[in-house]
Amino acid sequence: MEVINHLLNGFVVAGSPINLEMALIGAFLGTIVGMLPGLGPINGVAILLPIAYAMKIPAESSLILLTAVYAGCEFGGRISAILINVPGDAGAVMTTLDGYPMARKGLAGPALSISALASFCGSVIATLGIVAFAPILSKWALAFGPAEYFVLMVLALSCLGGLVGDSMLKALIACLLGLMFSCVGIDSNSGVYRYTFDLIHLSDGIPFIVVVIGVFAVSELMLMLQNLHAGAKAVPVSGRIMFNLQELALTKWTILRSSVVGFFIGVLPGAGASIASAMTYSMERRIAGSDHCFGEGDPRGVAAPEAANNASAYGSLIPMLTLGVPGSGTTAVLIGALTLYNITPGPMLFQEHPVMVWSLIASMFIASVMLLVMNIPLIKFFVKFLSIPNWLLVPGIAAVSLIGVYAIHGTSFDLVLGTLLGGLGYGLRVMNFPMAPFILGFVLGDMMEQNLRRALSISNGEIAILFASPISIGLWVAALAMLVGPRLFKALSKPSGAEPGAKAPG
Amino acid sequence: MSERIFGAMLLLLSIAGVYIGWDLKAPVSYEPVGPNTFPVLVFSLLALCAVGLMVTQRSPTQWPPAHVLRRILGMFLVILAYAWLFDRLGFVLSTFLMTIPLARAFGSTWMQAVAGALGMSLSFYFIFDRLLDVALPAGRWLKPLLG
Amino acid sequence: MLKKSLSALVLAIACGSALAAPNKPECIAPAKPGGGFDLTCKLAQAGLQDGKYIDSPLRITYMPGGIGAVAYNTIIAQRPDEAGTIVAFSGGSLLNLAIGKFGRYNVDDVKWLAAIGADYGAVTVRADSPYKTLKDLITTLKADPTKVVMGAGGSVGSQDWMKSALVAKAAGVNYKNMRYVAFEGGGEALTALLGGHVQAYFGDASEVGEYLKAGKVRVLAVFSDTRLPGGLANVPTAKEQGYDVEWPIIRGFYLGPKVNDADYNWWAGTFDKMMATPEFAKQREAQGLFPFALTGAKLDAFVKERVKRYGELAAEFGLVVVK
Repeated sequence: MEVINHLLNGFVVAGSPINLEMALIGAFLGTIVGMLPGLGPINGVAILLPIAYAMKIPAESSLILLTAVYAGCEFGGRISAILINVPGDAGAVMTTLDGYPMARKGLAGPALSISALASFCGSVIATLGIVAFAPILSKWALAFGPAEYFVLMVLALSCLGGLVGDSMLKALIACLLGLMFSCVGIDSNSGVYRYTFDLIHLSDGIPFIVVVIGVFAVSELMLMLQNLHAGAKAVPVSGRIMFNLQELALTKWTILRSSVVGFFIGVLPGAGASIASAMTYSMERRIAGSDHCFGEGDPRGVAAPEAANNASAYGSLIPMLTLGVPGSGTTAVLIGALTLYNITPGPMLFQEHPVMVWSLIASMFIASVMLLVMNIPLIKFFVKFLSIPNWLLVPGIAAVSLIGVYAIHGTSFDLVLGTLLGGLGYGLRVMNFPMAPFILGFVLGDMMEQNLRRALSISNGEIAILFASPISIGLWVAALAMLVGPRLFKALSKPSGAEPGAKAPG
Repeated sequence: MSERIFGAMLLLLSIAGVYIGWDLKAPVSYEPVGPNTFPVLVFSLLALCAVGLMVTQRSPTQWPPAHVLRRILGMFLVILAYAWLFDRLGFVLSTFLMTIPLARAFGSTWMQAVAGALGMSLSFYFIFDRLLDVALPAGRWLKPLLG
Repeated sequence: MLKKSLSALVLAIACGSALAAPNKPECIAPAKPGGGFDLTCKLAQAGLQDGKYIDSPLRITYMPGGIGAVAYNTIIAQRPDEAGTIVAFSGGSLLNLAIGKFGRYNVDDVKWLAAIGADYGAVTVRADSPYKTLKDLITTLKADPTKVVMGAGGSVGSQDWMKSALVAKAAGVNYKNMRYVAFEGGGEALTALLGGHVQAYFGDASEVGEYLKAGKVRVLAVFSDTRLPGGLANVPTAKEQGYDVEWPIIRGFYLGPKVNDADYNWWAGTFDKMMATPEFAKQREAQGLFPFALTGAKLDAFVKERVKRYGELAAEFGLVVVK
């Protein structure tokens, strides 16, 4: 077993004191950076890269440091999502939907610990996936052409039925508004500028982070002021830190499913943590049928997106390691990091630099364990955030959010745009428009449209291309199952009694 | 009522969107489906939904009372000004100026507000710009002093 | 600390800032982290730092939008006199500048500083493709232009599109009849090529080197003046094969319009010194860039010539020139 040998060698390298130290520093810094709204893994990695390079630490150690930061950010993003309803990074948007309600119920501790466990499982499953299937999966990534991407987006939107709040119409409008914003900017097929109003700042479209900061952070601050005057009490904090067995039993299949799905989505270049978490969240909600309290603090609603975004973060390393193609914004920065060390990632990376690749994989295991061990005791400390007085917390969130946007979009245009979107978000939220379909529409809209048009360009207008490959047929079947499956499943399982967990497809 | 007004606004928006989108054409195109199809589709659907929102009956939105709304609007304007002044005044000064009214709105004393503003603007500048190397605008006037 | 800064300030004023390296030098990469602009800045960062030309490390900040349009406008309008701020540009920025996508400013509005390397266009097919030479591809295109689906990393009007249109033109095929599919960035286009979703990819030489080495692709031609060094030495140029298509993509930096001449000359001189060292050559090579060093007035003339040429091409290909 060559793979096992390589992996053991990897553990030897990754287990050296300096590399362990790097993984620890990376995991800790990543958690902090991920927790701050606006600052995500891209910032974390981009910030540390020049420092690591200037310190002249060897290539392996530096890559281990950066990967640990990446994983740490995906861990950290959930913290602010759960505690203050502001996602720490893009992958944590979905975590707010149930994480914050859990915190409002005084269950911040269990929400944080169950999501830490979910993140851990996601990371470990994805790492195992890389070890076992990296070469095969690079073929899966290649097999995904525009037609397959389009059907994948259809599958994602077919889950949307699960996200409807109190009104179908409002959910639809929210989704359409998301799609509308995704139309802004240069059309990547034809090069036409759409709805940019001759503003060069809009030429690349509205950045995701700007939307997230506006719709989640700024509008949240406004809602906080409203609640203050409505006489809202401070969030009660229960002493419980750990999830209990009941919560574990409820979420175990969710975590497993979401990890696997998240991993596969992560492997696809172009689809990332935000899509993976949105898809798994709505999938789980769909699968849960009527027996749930999604949106009001269901632990599954926290576990699903967290497992998925960690799994997809690691999954996106596969196209980077096997093809040299960035699978996400962060891996693009990692590829830049390798180039600084005279390593050009490409299809030969596994052959040419086996020690580095395998020590990286080994360190992913190590970093995951470290993050779990570090995160559980830290929960006690994180929960203290809730006792920061609002008069300090609110300007703090405002400042950190704007810093995050400024860090990768260094102009005040994006800051102003984000704030204006925050005003819109506030209005929508007061009028009870659900935010999840809005974000989903925004994330998926562009990919769906562009890939459909690409596919039709390739086939010269033949619709048949959308049903041509086994993958797309499989995805169509899955989409159909998402639409009618839950009802069918409910009808079938009624006579046989209540055992929903065991019956769910694993 | 607010839904109706919002619906009407959405309707106007979608009409404008369809109007602008209709003429989106590439100078050279290789595609069976052009750049205008999708936006026009989205805006048309949005128009339909907007009409739906205007005509259907639903429980009215609970807006906060007027004096609270005014304060929320005030806070929104403070953040907007903050965003606009962020790189003009520099991080430290703009954050200082933003923190005081926001802290006051959430019930701090003047002393607390000023102390918090001072502490936060300086410590964040140090933490992000110096420790984390996230470049923050120093502001034209402060640049030479901070070196 | 304040005292130290103050004395540094006094010192700087007394000496005249031109003699020394600018304080707190900054490199603006007009894209998100990880792209080509980021790498251009990193190359300058590594070169300047390793050669100890500057005291404090070159800071990289990001200002994405319109292949440099946002940064171009911001620098001219708001930060025109920052002597310490260099901004990365590429051939793609010049193309967009030429076709009026940079807003109201034109090529004369900044100070072009230095070009530090170049890349060249290349036609790539999968290793198992029936096309062995550029001629094979062009013969097929001539017979039936709809038979080959060309993939690219940019939309109509981008560099990749220009390259494919130029090849079509060289083949005597109407560029409006070819099949062209734009992806978001070279990475996605290359993945689509490897996956067999498109048949030819009009990308850049630096992107495909590793895939050639791994035997995954065949490079039919590079769009350079002479053959490229390194792994691509065996790939003939388009010119050699009888098609007059050249497409260099230079990468470099400019300064704000109101930076004084002394500072400009300091930067240009420093880049001259840095680019002459073998260490820099190694760093440049690691990023897949080919030698191309021009600074000062020579670069200025070169850039203006390119922009003019791009404008002519765009007009010829019927791209609407905005304003």
